[in-house]
Amino acid sequence: MRCTLFPEIPGVSPQPTSSSRRNPQRFTLPVSWRIVALDMVSYGSGGEPLDSPSPGFLAKTLFNSDHKVIGLRYLWLALGSVLFGMLLSLLMRIHLVWPAAQIPLLSDFGNTTDRYAALTLLHGSLMVFFVLTTAPQAGFGSYFLPLQIGARDMAFPALNVISFWTTAISLLGVTASFFVSPASGFTFWIGSVALFCLAALLTSLNFAVTTIDLRAKGMSLPRMPLTVWAWFINAILSLLIFSILLAACAFLLSDRLLASQYFSPLAFLAREPASSAQSTLLSLWQRLFWYFAQAEVYVAILPCFGIVSHLLSNFSRKPVWAERAAVLALCGAGVFGFCIWGQHVFSSGLNPWSPLAFSLLASSLGLPAGVLVLSWFGTLWNARIELNTSMLFALGFVSLFLSGGVTGLFLAGASFSPASIGDDFVTGHFHLVMGIAATFAILAALFFWFPKMFARQLDETLGKLHFWLTFAGVYCIFMPMHWLGLMAHSRGTTGAAAAFGPFASSLHTFVTVATILTVAAQFLFLYNFVWTLSRGKKIHDANPWRSATLEWCLSSPPPFENFGPAAPVVYRGAYEFGPYSAANVSVTPQNVAPKPPEHATRRNLAAGAFAEEK
Amino acid sequence: MPGTSIVEDIELIIEDIGGGGGGITPPAGGDDGGDSGRRPGPNVPPSRRYATAIVIAMISIFMFFMAMVGAFIFLRATNRNWLPLRLPSILWFNTAVLISSSVIIEMARRRLTLADVPKFRKLWSGATVLGVLFLIGQLIAWRQLVDERLYVSTTQASSFFYIFTSLHGLHLLGGVCALLFVAFRKFQNASVSRSVAAEVVSYYWHFLDGLWIFLFALLYFGK
Repeated sequence: MRCTLFPEIPGVSPQPTSSSRRNPQRFTLPVSWRIVALDMVSYGSGGEPLDSPSPGFLAKTLFNSDHKVIGLRYLWLALGSVLFGMLLSLLMRIHLVWPAAQIPLLSDFGNTTDRYAALTLLHGSLMVFFVLTTAPQAGFGSYFLPLQIGARDMAFPALNVISFWTTAISLLGVTASFFVSPASGFTFWIGSVALFCLAALLTSLNFAVTTIDLRAKGMSLPRMPLTVWAWFINAILSLLIFSILLAACAFLLSDRLLASQYFSPLAFLAREPASSAQSTLLSLWQRLFWYFAQAEVYVAILPCFGIVSHLLSNFSRKPVWAERAAVLALCGAGVFGFCIWGQHVFSSGLNPWSPLAFSLLASSLGLPAGVLVLSWFGTLWNARIELNTSMLFALGFVSLFLSGGVTGLFLAGASFSPASIGDDFVTGHFHLVMGIAATFAILAALFFWFPKMFARQLDETLGKLHFWLTFAGVYCIFMPMHWLGLMAHSRGTTGAAAAFGPFASSLHTFVTVATILTVAAQFLFLYNFVWTLSRGKKIHDANPWRSATLEWCLSSPPPFENFGPAAPVVYRGAYEFGPYSAANVSVTPQNVAPKPPEHATRRNLAAGAFAEEK
Repeated sequence: MPGTSIVEDIELIIEDIGGGGGGITPPAGGDDGGDSGRRPGPNVPPSRRYATAIVIAMISIFMFFMAMVGAFIFLRATNRNWLPLRLPSILWFNTAVLISSSVIIEMARRRLTLADVPKFRKLWSGATVLGVLFLIGQLIAWRQLVDERLYVSTTQASSFFYIFTSLHGLHLLGGVCALLFVAFRKFQNASVSRSVAAEVVSYYWHFLDGLWIFLFALLYFGK
């Protein structure tokens, strides 16, 4: 069943009323909306905002406050960062296995351990901040949150612009910090991270207010799609933890710039041995930092939970199994994620009882995760699955999350943790569960929403090939890494591989070769992406996946101000699939009103039955 | 007549949905293409987003200061060589100034509910002046510490004093800007009324007031 309230484009026939007098072509949007430059949606004649004669060049480009334009910009920023970060990881692997290899351009930066650490830092901060935090939340969230709740824009469009450009500046700062001397580079890095925190806080504020106050009529909390739930909970979590990281950054910055005494062993004077002062300060930093960093894992993964639940339901053509429980699990993941910061401080001496408490908390995190996994399998059970690329990536997420989660249970045990901090087991664990799984969810979302964003569809054959190569590749990279970790191999030092015998070193070589192949496979995706953007298959169907949420009721890409003054009304939940027929499964969009005749007949039947009984 | 009752049923269903909470539904944003005129407007008044935003922002700012307070308590407890800091006495005066500004803001808002805009503006400006006075007082306190050769880098206690006062002052400076904005902006064709703006800003101002009392108590008892 297709959308009935907004058949093609809302308000497509402007009647001679006051609104059309003000802006005659507001909703007659030409289909010729197209991506022209890297990040700019060129507006057709109908793109001017209400009440302003014609926005200047700057207002249309640099300061464009349309949430869709900003969402796309976030996605472009994340794409650039992920490519750069991937190349860095390739460099690290090559350096680890063939330390003597001379790489052009990079030999100028020196071959010291400092530089290697700086490389790791750059890789980590690019991936965590500008890909995992930015793409699923700020990118897809900015684009689709207002659409899915039936709003015209975010609550504070100007704030949205500010937070995007702050993010972009902080990306520049983080990257530039690699190229200056280590001492000033680190100051620069902290400043950039503080800026990123500020941007993340503003974005989250915007998300939370938008979800609370801008929902369309009838979009009650139980009717919100799981994606919206995940974005909302994630925004609240981000608000709490990014302010803690911001405080930590303020301390560090003031120590480095104003020579204040927060992390200075000098403040402890002579009576204390220097080592004890050092360890106290170190543990203070660890507490502040891990408070953020442990929760940051959930900031990266929560929106992915939402996206995967949404996609699994849509392509299984079934409602989300135990939807209420899944929503509660999302909330639970947020709450637990906020509370388990102590887990990473195992090795730095909290009081002797707290490891037990935090270990319990860390293990209990398995509870919401388990509920979500159950809900995913319940959705898939007996379903008529459409196995396209988007669905494949969503299933890949489930697989990676399960394998990564199982190893996480080992790490949550207090006895196992001190030995393994910072070795290959941990590296393998968090890359699998956080980095790679989240990337799979991002790719799934991209394949899913690409027709809505660009009115074209990514090539399925290339997409599937890319999926299988990447899926095999990441397992080949990170499973041997767990193995290496179990062999108590400590990370980082270049010569250590040789010390653990030929087997470990051949494993290392295997991992590096797998990395090279996996990175190469990403060019398949890039080719698919660029080719589709320029001359890919055009989609004229506004709802190619036959999905029920509100964004599919609009034309692709959605017009400026989305629904306009004619706000949609929501009558049902986001996952109403059925009735099931042999050919296909129909779906009822959220804004379709219950049919009066059906209503009437049911009432008449009931009345008839009542009369007969009499 | 069955037809009308069904329409009423649907209306009831729509009413029952009760999306975003707030029960008041203002008339839909003016012109809705004139198509049948039955399209319901948004569920919450557009100005409510500002109140929501300020509450959420306050939670976030609270977390930010609590992280700092946590670090303060941790270092105060572990550092056995903590050098106490004698707080300048002008801080008592500053605190009194800030509290009185909060009281005056409430009086001004009461004037506004009586639609007495000139009196409101007078009181509101008075509160703004007191806010600026507080900031100047904080600068004098810094000046006094500097005269005693206590700088940011001298002791841990002085470092904490400077970071708490400067970050609180920065937030308060934003509050002063907001107060000026409410006092001097013309609200004829704005999306919020003056009373809503005054309410939102007053929340923020009282929050900063309470935060300062807390920080002052912390610095005083934890010196």
